Amino acid sequence: MRNPEPVVFIVDDEPAVRDSLTLMIEQAGIGVQSFESAEAFLNAYGSDFFGCIILDVQMPEMSGMQLQDELFQRKILLPIVFLTGHGDIPMSVRAIKTGAVDFLTKPVTREKLLTCVRLAFAEAEKRVDEAAHKQNAIACLKKLTQREREVMSLAVQGRSNKEIAACLDISHRTVEIHKSNIMRKTDSINLLDLVRISRESDLGK
Amino acid sequence: MTDELTNLSFRTLFDATLEAKLLVDAAGRIVLANPAAQLLFGYNEDEICEVMVEMLIPARYREKHRRYRALFLDNPKKRTMGDGKALAALCRDGKEILLDINLSPIKTQGQFYVLAGFNVTDQRLKAEEALLASEERLRLAKQAAGLGIFDCDCKNKIIYWDEKMRELWGSSNETMSYKEFLATIHPQDRAARQVAFESAIDTTGHEGFKAEYRIINPANGVERWRWISSIGQVHFKDGRADRLVGVVRDVTEQKNLQKKLQAQRNETENLFKQQVAVRTASAIAHEINQPLTAISAYSEVALHALHQEAFNTDNLKKALEGCVEQAQRAGRSIHELLAFLQKSEIETEQLNLNELIQEALDIARNDGFGGFHQVLSLQENLPAAQGNRLQVQKVLVNLFRNAVEAMRIANVPTSKISVSAQTLAETNMALVVVQDNGSGLDKDMVKYIFDPFFTTKPSGIGMGLSISRALIEANGGQLWLDPDSKAGAKFHFTLPLAL
Repeated sequence: MRNPEPVVFIVDDEPAVRDSLTLMIEQAGIGVQSFESAEAFLNAYGSDFFGCIILDVQMPEMSGMQLQDELFQRKILLPIVFLTGHGDIPMSVRAIKTGAVDFLTKPVTREKLLTCVRLAFAEAEKRVDEAAHKQNAIACLKKLTQREREVMSLAVQGRSNKEIAACLDISHRTVEIHKSNIMRKTDSINLLDLVRISRESDLGK
Repeated sequence: MTDELTNLSFRTLFDATLEAKLLVDAAGRIVLANPAAQLLFGYNEDEICEVMVEMLIPARYREKHRRYRALFLDNPKKRTMGDGKALAALCRDGKEILLDINLSPIKTQGQFYVLAGFNVTDQRLKAEEALLASEERLRLAKQAAGLGIFDCDCKNKIIYWDEKMRELWGSSNETMSYKEFLATIHPQDRAARQVAFESAIDTTGHEGFKAEYRIINPANGVERWRWISSIGQVHFKDGRADRLVGVVRDVTEQKNLQKKLQAQRNETENLFKQQVAVRTASAIAHEINQPLTAISAYSEVALHALHQEAFNTDNLKKALEGCVEQAQRAGRSIHELLAFLQKSEIETEQLNLNELIQEALDIARNDGFGGFHQVLSLQENLPAAQGNRLQVQKVLVNLFRNAVEAMRIANVPTSKISVSAQTLAETNMALVVVQDNGSGLDKDMVKYIFDPFFTTKPSGIGMGLSISRALIEANGGQLWLDPDSKAGAKFHFTLPLAL
């Protein structure tokens, strides 16, 4: 599946900042949508939103940091580029740690902003791909029986068929049959594929 | 009993008794006085006999005594005089003594006498005991209060001092000369102490002596300044100061505590000022930063549009319009912000500048930055100026504090602040000049001294003079620095006179 064209979502309460940045990004041939508040963005948000958010830190109601938390809660994966009036270092450290792509101080140059937007788009692709893999892995694992899942969890830990048989108190032959079914159901070629699926699904842990 | 003894004359017995005795007739005239009585009162026999007994009574009690004498005649019997209380008697040399007096009536044919006996022994003992007890009390109280006592002989310039004071000074000498004493005082405090001393010994005013100064204690091996607080009273004789007697107390700890508290207060005040400065600056930054962000972005859009081959005039026009609008908006924001900060109308009143200067000097002196000597040249009957009392006081205190700090940094031996106040008739303004004797300011500094955030002090934030100038200007005056301030900084400010 091919991702749609990425869009920059500007969230800033300042009309002149929204207007000028929109002009700048559009000029670079990138699509833009702007919102006057965090609430307006959340109301408009749809699962087809793809790209990144340029987010003002200081806004009258919901602040930029609060919106970041809210997006995390709702598992919205859009990467964030923060914009702030003054470079508050502890605040920017926190924002980066919780997944922001960058923290830019106003006024921002065209070069810096566009570089950041491109980085954020790459990040967005990565996040969407990861999410797709995870969906896929979870779907695969759902096809397995309880016993097959037990066998798989031991196999990805690197246990041999013999060990698995001893551990689950079944015959060596039965383990081989389970494993063959697992490989077929998850469309895996080898054990490495299995390990990846297990990791991506978060179930293997 | 032998006849000889029976016939012993009254006179022989009367003269032989050790107790002072007088024989007084019914009219109150002294008939006889025995040698003990003559000795006690200081008269010889010829002088004391035939005079009225009231001669031996202090003038203020004489009238009362006459009345008591008449009452005694009505009911004569042996008794003590004054219900056992000691009574005052007057000796020939004018001295008054306290006596126990007993009275015995003697009746002969047709004549009535009173035999009076006088006793001093009891009284003297009691007085001595009382004196000892009082001295002991004084000593204990003195000890408890940590007081040292001094007695300065003004004529011979010698100081007598007690043990406590010698301990404070670290000296074992019983006395010391006034000159030696002055040498123990901190050079910076000598002048102020001398002024206090001179105004105390001035015969025209009768002020007590009160001074605080630092002394040096050579006995410690190391030099150590101690703060001394001294209170005394001058005693005059023949119209001249004779003695200065008083007490001293070690107030070093108090002073240090005061200093510490003041330092803490200053620190808090500085922190607060810093916060105000930061808040103000960030409010301005916020107002400016938004339009600046937009202008920056619009400009780059315009620039980029010009570089593009497919020239987009719409974008260019939009971007440049945005620039102009945002630049205008930034200017308006600044004006609005300043108007908001200055919106409160100042309340003015008629000000007595001379009083205000004196108050501000006191505030600056108690700041804990250190003392200074003041030289005032205040025009008498200076007409009232019109201004806001607190603001003008703030400016004065600020100028004095700066002066004190400048002199401390320059390490001048005697800090001196000169203040003058006068009217400028031609402009209907009052002029105040404040000068210190620090190292002054060099030409480069003079240029920037009124700029916000300019400071020469390690802990200053550089708003004092900038605010002071703004306050004086808000009150209709001007504040400036003498560009040629070689002998210490010299600040001038004017204020309009009240109409």
